[in-house]
Amino acid sequence: MVERLKIRRLARGGQGLSAALVAAICLWPSAARAQGSAAQSHEHEATGDVREYPSLKIAGFGDVNFFATKRVEGPRGFNLGQFVLHMTSELSPRVTFFGEVSLSARSDAGTGTPPATGFNTEVERMILRFDYSDQLKVSFGRYHTPINWWNTAFHHGQWLQTTITRPEMIQFGGRFLPVHFVGALVEGTTPAGGLNLGYQAGIGNGRSSVISRGGDPGDTNGKRAYLANVFAKPNWAFGLHLGGSVYADTVTLANARVFSERILAAHVAWQKETPELIAEFASVRHEEAGSPATTNHAYYVQAAYRLPEPAHLWKPYFRFEHIGVDASEVVFATVLRLDGATVGMRFDLSQYAAVKGEYRSWTRGEGTVRNHGGFFQVCFTF
Amino acid sequence: MRTMSRCSSLRPLLLALGLWLVVSASPAPVLGQDQDIAVIVHRDVPVDNLPLTELRRILLGDREFWSAGMRVTLLVRAPVARERDVAIKQVCQMTEAQFRQHWIGKVFRAETPSGPKIVYSNEMAIDQVSRTPGAITFIEKNLATKAMKVLKIDGLLPGQSGYKVH
Repeated sequence: MVERLKIRRLARGGQGLSAALVAAICLWPSAARAQGSAAQSHEHEATGDVREYPSLKIAGFGDVNFFATKRVEGPRGFNLGQFVLHMTSELSPRVTFFGEVSLSARSDAGTGTPPATGFNTEVERMILRFDYSDQLKVSFGRYHTPINWWNTAFHHGQWLQTTITRPEMIQFGGRFLPVHFVGALVEGTTPAGGLNLGYQAGIGNGRSSVISRGGDPGDTNGKRAYLANVFAKPNWAFGLHLGGSVYADTVTLANARVFSERILAAHVAWQKETPELIAEFASVRHEEAGSPATTNHAYYVQAAYRLPEPAHLWKPYFRFEHIGVDASEVVFATVLRLDGATVGMRFDLSQYAAVKGEYRSWTRGEGTVRNHGGFFQVCFTF
Repeated sequence: MRTMSRCSSLRPLLLALGLWLVVSASPAPVLGQDQDIAVIVHRDVPVDNLPLTELRRILLGDREFWSAGMRVTLLVRAPVARERDVAIKQVCQMTEAQFRQHWIGKVFRAETPSGPKIVYSNEMAIDQVSRTPGAITFIEKNLATKAMKVLKIDGLLPGQSGYKVH
């Protein structure tokens, strides 16, 4: 249908022979799916008024997984990943709304005792942004905390990322880094003589007393969280993205103990696929009044390579990751240590769907038994 | 009589030889000049010249404003068109799949509200650019007229030696 509409448009445009040729290409089933309709999924036809307000657009991501590990740790067998709906709407030339809702399968999402399985609905992001210029954009809402590159680059789109899962330091529901941030953000970019510098600065609620959660209904204490990050995408190395960030908050635990938290993080990413290289490091320091500070650190290094034609749909990858937690930690008392390696392969089924298979081997700190397993995922965007 | 007839039979041969001499004596065309793609913008866009790296930032959505008051509206031909191919492969140094994934990620990261607008012909591209403040698009060089605002890229217009968008 889409192809037929496109052909009619071409015919109206009076392109004669070229229209007929393109029409023939579009009617060729495989070519049409690979080219014509695909472009229209995420790019939109320019109509009479190219910009209309409001202009709601909806896209989404989904994934289905299979996990098999030697020792039980997390889900086993088939598992529905997240079903994510992403909404954008231009409200005026300078004001834009972004929203993201996820539905996640959980063993305790339902009612009753024991709780039935079901799906949890979550407002992942809700952002209203005012764009003054490229150098100054101001927004309010719920974000993915921009102190970790992976957290903002891939969000809930498993299809966007090469591997099956996120690094554990920024896992959904994880505690090492605050995944969500509720508050206000100022951001911008400038060419800066070819360095293409960018910045983000924010103030918000920070972690709630359950530290894996953001302070959605309000802050747990009177002290806000602050963050700042700077990054560069230099022209002389197109594809390179590097930057660093700092985050400061005061965490009040459920037992009323209060800790100051300071996070320093840095990343470097080479986003071209031949090769793709990503490395991130984060250091988290906690201090309780009258007690010595503790420092915890985590990092990962990932490499991938899209094979040349005719095997360009295949992309092998490798990742090593580490999480180290201080022995006297209180805030991270339940955060698991990790030394793990992942090796896998991604195959792009189409422009908008992929399958991935990987093998992982890991330990949970010195003296723990090594675990390993096989993982499989089908992921897509629509 | 016979001599005249011989001369007239040689005339086409002499003409062809002359033509060959004229053509071979003229300077060789610079590779790609005939295939240059013109970058045209709406009349009100306050820019006459763009470095190729800035054109890439616009194509990838990293630059969203011409000036504080004017948002960039990027119009790109649908797949299969050569104008799109040149923009993606020559300017962005990407494959079609990488370009699509880049824009899906860009919108998903909430960095921009929407991807490029699609146009289905050069005529449609020219029409939309003339009517949309801040619009930019790519068309065949031969279709560019004096009525349009054609951007210099790295100080060069399409057709000039060293022009890189082709």
